[in-house]
Formats: sequence, C-alpha cells, structure tokens
Amino acid sequence: MGLRLLIFACCYLKLMTFSFYIPANALKSKGPIGAGLVQASHSLHTSSKSLAPVPALPEKGGQVRHGIIPEELFQLLYPKTGVTGPYMLGTGLLCYLLSKEIYIINHETLSAASIGAVVIYAIKKFGPSVAAFADKLNEEKVLNAQAVKDVALVGLSQAIEEEKKEQWRAEGRSMLFDAKRNNVAMLLETNFRERIHMVTNEVKKRLDYQIAVQNLNRQMEQEHMVNWVEKSVVGSITPLQEKESIAKCISDLKALARAKASLAV
Amino acid sequence: MTLSLFDQFSSPSFLGIPMILMALALPWLLIPTPTSRWLSNRVVSLQGWFIARFTNQLFLPLNVGGHKWAPLLASLMMFLLTLNMLGLMPYIFTPTTQLSLNLGLAVPLWLATVLIGMRNQPTHALGHFLPEGTPTALIPILIIIETISLFIRPLALGVRLTANLTAGHLLIHLISSAVFVLMPMMPAVAILTAVLLLLLTMLEVAVAMIQAYVFILLLSLYLQENV
Repeated sequence: MGLRLLIFACCYLKLMTFSFYIPANALKSKGPIGAGLVQASHSLHTSSKSLAPVPALPEKGGQVRHGIIPEELFQLLYPKTGVTGPYMLGTGLLCYLLSKEIYIINHETLSAASIGAVVIYAIKKFGPSVAAFADKLNEEKVLNAQAVKDVALVGLSQAIEEEKKEQWRAEGRSMLFDAKRNNVAMLLETNFRERIHMVTNEVKKRLDYQIAVQNLNRQMEQEHMVNWVEKSVVGSITPLQEKESIAKCISDLKALARAKASLAV
Repeated sequence: MTLSLFDQFSSPSFLGIPMILMALALPWLLIPTPTSRWLSNRVVSLQGWFIARFTNQLFLPLNVGGHKWAPLLASLMMFLLTLNMLGLMPYIFTPTTQLSLNLGLAVPLWLATVLIGMRNQPTHALGHFLPEGTPTALIPILIIIETISLFIRPLALGVRLTANLTAGHLLIHLISSAVFVLMPMMPAVAILTAVLLLLLTMLEVAVAMIQAYVFILLLSLYLQENV
C-alpha cells in the first residue's frame, strides 16, 4: 500500500529529476495487490524507458540451505556470529519455544514429522527428474523455434544460389539474341533467294515461249516455201523434159557401167 | 478428549472475524502467475504444462459447447488441489472439510448443468431418465430410481469430498495421538503405529489429489450429458 501511494505521489508531483523505472515483473509479485500496482505504473509515463525487452531471468534460483532456509540468512549472520551462528539461533529458538511452552509437542508434531518425511522423500527421489522435465519443456520450445529458423535459413540460402544462377543465365542473353538475329537473317535471305529464283524461272518461261513461237513461225515459213518450190518445180517439168532426162540418165548409167567394168578389169 | 477430536474441523475465527475467508483466499498466492515471457522458470513451465494437459484430457469427451466450462473447471481443480494438499500440514485448517463449502461448490454447478440440459435440449436431458434397452416392466421403477439418482448427485458430490477429507484428517489425528500416548509406555507398539501413520499419510496425499480430481471429473460428466 505504501509503495502504491509513493508511486502516485511521485507521478503527481512530477519529480523529473530522476527517472522512475520499476520493472513490471517486480511490481506484479508485490503481494496480493501486485496486479494493481502494475496498472498504476502503466498510467503515467514518467520515464522514456520502455518495459520491453524484459530483463533476463537469473541463471539459478535463490540459494537455500537444508532445502528451506535461504542462504541470505547465513550471509547476514556470518560477520557477527560466524559459521555456527544461524544454527545456534535455530537451536536456541527451538529450546526457547519448547521450554516456555509456546510450542507444545503433541500429536500434531508427530503428524508433522510423518508428512515431513513423506515430502522430503518425494523431493529427494523425484526432484531431479521433475527439474529435468521442466528444463526439457523449455528446451523443446527453443528447439522448435530453432528448427523454424534453420529451415528458413536453408530456404533463403537456396534462394540465393538460384538467384546467382539466374544472373549467370541472364549474362548469356546477348549470345541468345545474336543467334536469333542470325536465324532471322538466314530466313530472310532464303526467302529472298527463293523469290529471285521464282522470278527467274517465270521470266525464262516467258522468253522460252517467245523463242518457241519464233521458231515455229520460221519453220512454217520454210516448209511452206519448200512446198511451194517443189510444187512449182514439179509443175514445170514437161513430159519432154522428162523423156530427155530419163534418156540422159540411161546414157549416164551406161557410161558409168562401162567405166566400172574397165576398172574391174 | 472426545470433544477435541472434532475441534480441528470447527470453522476458525479470530476475534469474531471468520478466518475461513483467508484460508480460502491465501492459497492463491502459492500459484505463480505466468509472466509475459516466452521461456520462464521451472515452476511456471511445469504449472502451465500440467494445467494444459489436464484441461485437454478432461475436455476431450466433451463437445465444443462444453469447452466454455474449461476455465471454471481448471481453476476449480487447482483450488481444490491446493486446499486439500495444504490441509495435510500440521495446524492447517482444511476448508474442504466443511460440508457447507463443498455443497456450496457442488449444488450450483450441478444445478447449472441440469438447467443447461433442460433449456437447450429438454428431450435429450429427460431421456437420461430411461436408459436404452430396459425391459418394459421395469420402466416405472427405473424412472423413479433415475430421478432419485439425479437429485442425489449434488449431495453425493459434496458429501464425498467432505467425508473423505474429514475421515482422513480424523484418522491422522487419532493415530498420531495413539503414537504420542503409546511412546512412553510401549515404544515398540508406538513405532509400529508410527509406520502405520506414515502409510496413512501417503494415502492421504493420494486421496487429497484424487478427491479433487473426482469432483471435477464428475462435474464434467454431468456437463457432458447435458450440454
């Protein structure tokens, strides 16, 4: 209650000379009204420090001696009474309580002894395994998170590798374009040559036709002329000429025969 | 002597202030509050694991409508467990030995399950009065018996918890008194009785945990029938 009033008073009076940093965890454990104290500390932001990140948990829990007595008592009494101080205090206290009959030994003491024996036995026997189990629970949480992180790391490094490969591939694209350009040029050239060829053939056909027509014309003229000449010659041969020619031929043949016979001899 | 045996069960009051309120409220301090950390200390981790596992296993047979009761039953379990276990210490008053408290927990919760059943699915809830496959001649008697059994449930719940814990505490009281009285006279017999006391204490630890669990389990069963 006093702590709560103090916080309210300081916040209200706006003591800006020093900053008030009270961790929420410390407040939450302050007795039954700890939760209310946390709300009180949330109300006015008197310092610029935030409540996160939470401070780390201590490595070990509070040290105890004989399972129940905090080590701090021994440290407190050591300067004045040495090592045996707290034990003397305990023994003396017990003797005082018993002798003044402030604490009376009755059946409850025996039942306390029996439940104490059961509890101590259970702690000694199952304590380490329960602690290991609790540690394993936390360990598994960390391992799960770590596994997620590792999978993400592997995935990302693979992505980096693939990106590098893509970059290497992209460097070769100029060669690709050259090849494509060559292809296109070849296609165009081929197409052009085909068309030239076609044109040549067509022109040649036309010219051949003209030549054939001319040849035909000449041939027909020649034939016609020859026929006409023949006809006129044959027509001009009179029968007298025919007899004369035949007699001539016979006399020639006789002469030839006489010449051949003389040669043969 | 005969009076002092039951004095341990009288509701404590100090200067006219009923201390049972403190006895009911203070065990809450022993249960650590989970912090906003991801990894906490061993106690908080174990507590979280235990409550999660217990609630999961308890609500497995219930349909989704019954899951609204999870915070109530889980916190009631922790409450009864701490009350019972703390009561085994010497000079500690166990509030669950009071019939008023146990009936005060049992009757409203049982009545809530019955009313939920009657309101949401009255035919199905009334159908529980006649189990399937009963011979026709037995029907009238069976309905009467089932009605009686329904109305005796809250009484049974409360009285079961009260009787178990009261009997346990009484036995511990008696046997430890016997050991205490026998020790100067017959130490050997006293030692045997002390061994008996040790075994009884172990039994009482088990009974404390089991009775709390049975209370919650039966409530969840009644809920399962009706929700």
